[in-house]
Amino acid sequence: MSDVTAPMGGKIIDIKVNVGDTVSENDEVVIIEAMKMELPVVATASGTVKEVKFSNGDAVEADAVLIVLE
Amino acid sequence: MNIEEKIKELERRNLEANLGGGQARIDQQHAKGKMTARERIEYLLDKDSFQELDKFVVHRCHDFGMEKKKIPGDGVVTGYGSIDNRKVFLFSQDFTVFGGSLSGPFGEKVCKVMDLALKNGAPFIGLNDSGGARIQEGIVSLGSYGEIFKRNVLASGVVPQISVIMGPCAGGAVYSPALTDFTIMVKNTSNMFITGPQVIKAVTSEEVTPEELGGAMTHNSKSGVAQFAEDSDQDALDRVKVLLGYLPQNYREKTPTVECSDDPGRTDKALNKVVPTNPKKPYDIKEIIQSVLDDNDFFEVQKHFAMNMVTGFGRLNGLAVGIVANQPKVLAGCLDINASMKCARFVRMCDCFNIPLVTFVDVPGFLPGVNQEYGGIIKHGAKIIYAYCEATVPKITVITRKAYGGAYDVMSSKHHGGDINYAYPTAELAVMGPDGAVNIIFKKEIESADDPETTRDRLVEEYRNNFASPFKAAELGYIDQIIFPENTRPRLIQALMMLKDKKDAIPKRKHGNTPL
Repeated sequence: MSDVTAPMGGKIIDIKVNVGDTVSENDEVVIIEAMKMELPVVATASGTVKEVKFSNGDAVEADAVLIVLE
Repeated sequence: MNIEEKIKELERRNLEANLGGGQARIDQQHAKGKMTARERIEYLLDKDSFQELDKFVVHRCHDFGMEKKKIPGDGVVTGYGSIDNRKVFLFSQDFTVFGGSLSGPFGEKVCKVMDLALKNGAPFIGLNDSGGARIQEGIVSLGSYGEIFKRNVLASGVVPQISVIMGPCAGGAVYSPALTDFTIMVKNTSNMFITGPQVIKAVTSEEVTPEELGGAMTHNSKSGVAQFAEDSDQDALDRVKVLLGYLPQNYREKTPTVECSDDPGRTDKALNKVVPTNPKKPYDIKEIIQSVLDDNDFFEVQKHFAMNMVTGFGRLNGLAVGIVANQPKVLAGCLDINASMKCARFVRMCDCFNIPLVTFVDVPGFLPGVNQEYGGIIKHGAKIIYAYCEATVPKITVITRKAYGGAYDVMSSKHHGGDINYAYPTAELAVMGPDGAVNIIFKKEIESADDPETTRDRLVEEYRNNFASPFKAAELGYIDQIIFPENTRPRLIQALMMLKDKKDAIPKRKHGNTPL
């Protein structure tokens, strides 16, 4: 199991996966907007999306768990 | 004894000293994947160049039965030699002798070569592999550490000092490497900490392994204590050799120039497309750095720490330069506490050793956050200002995209003594980003508009076109030249050749009071 966490605090502007999707390591799974930049967040491991913790528009803090993989 | 017997005695003593703590301990060292103190020296230095000093020094301790245990050399091999035909002084701690622990005479040996390095203006290299203070010697051992630290400080900025950690380095022993210019650690076999896992467990109940607490990756990625993490002793020593190639022998000399076979006029059309048109899209600043340097060779320093800031060495037309760059793809390229410390320390090191600075700027500002403010981002950010303002080496700046707010000033701006400041046409120099600026300047107009959103978008676009560009800054002379990205390498080299004999000075004083 592996968690995808926010690299910095910001606003979620795109969640590219749904529960049950299969992802590979380094796939872009979420885009966070912070400090005038749209930062892609990539999967830290390959696996299946078990849980998506936030929705578009949500504000998140740095290191918040965004997606749980298994 | 006749002459032949005397020669035989010398040979016998030499062989005895060469064996250090004996074959069994040498085998243990090898079993851990480590080289011995002498093997390391032989690997590092030019063939047959090593001249050993104090080979027969022994300790003078008469407590705890130590008078019966004496090994020539007393746990450290010291001397001088050359690397790529350039003189260096060094010590190599011998873990096979009393665990490499530091005694009074051990410290005296180290100090002797440090004094020689300082007087003769040559780099000083320390190969560390030691259990720490020799407890049997008591405070004598501490005195020795103190003498070494003092020499590290006196040599700072005079000759390059490089520490390689190739085994344990604990307690007070860590402060000598901490005072040097570079610390290189070997993965899995080296560690550094002030208080080890057992003491930590006893005092705070925290459980941590030595590798987690003070291993190579901990100090390269978390604490920033070390600049390089290498897979083996050999790799770490190879790193020293390459590193020295970018450094002068001492602060009075320039860095060695190498023959350059890469065309100084080489352009790169791919650079026109590295910076995305959409200012919100990140990209990898290292693509630009690699493209412009001789043979695309970028020697990154501290690459695992504060990755929102990139530092390292390269060459332009054969001349060594220090590269500093914001990295837009990490933390949006924001300046935070760690990036500030990394940048400032690197800039000061380059200035000490006459290494011109090339700074690539794409910075949206300082990282907002309560932790950053409580952590003292004000004083840490000030370190960058201090370092650049004080640096008298040639300073060339390239603004590739964002240079917003205070972060614009900080990153080698004209106002802080930038000699040649370039900007790409994609550069946005402004007091703040268009969205924020429009919300403040046109607050009333937007609020009273029939369609506030459309009005706001229009004003943002106007602001971006009129102010978030390099042209306002160029009109004011804050930017010397707006360049096409494809020409970055030739422009940098032209500026560097113009500046290479630059002379500048700061007011005389005892020493400045840099924010710490």
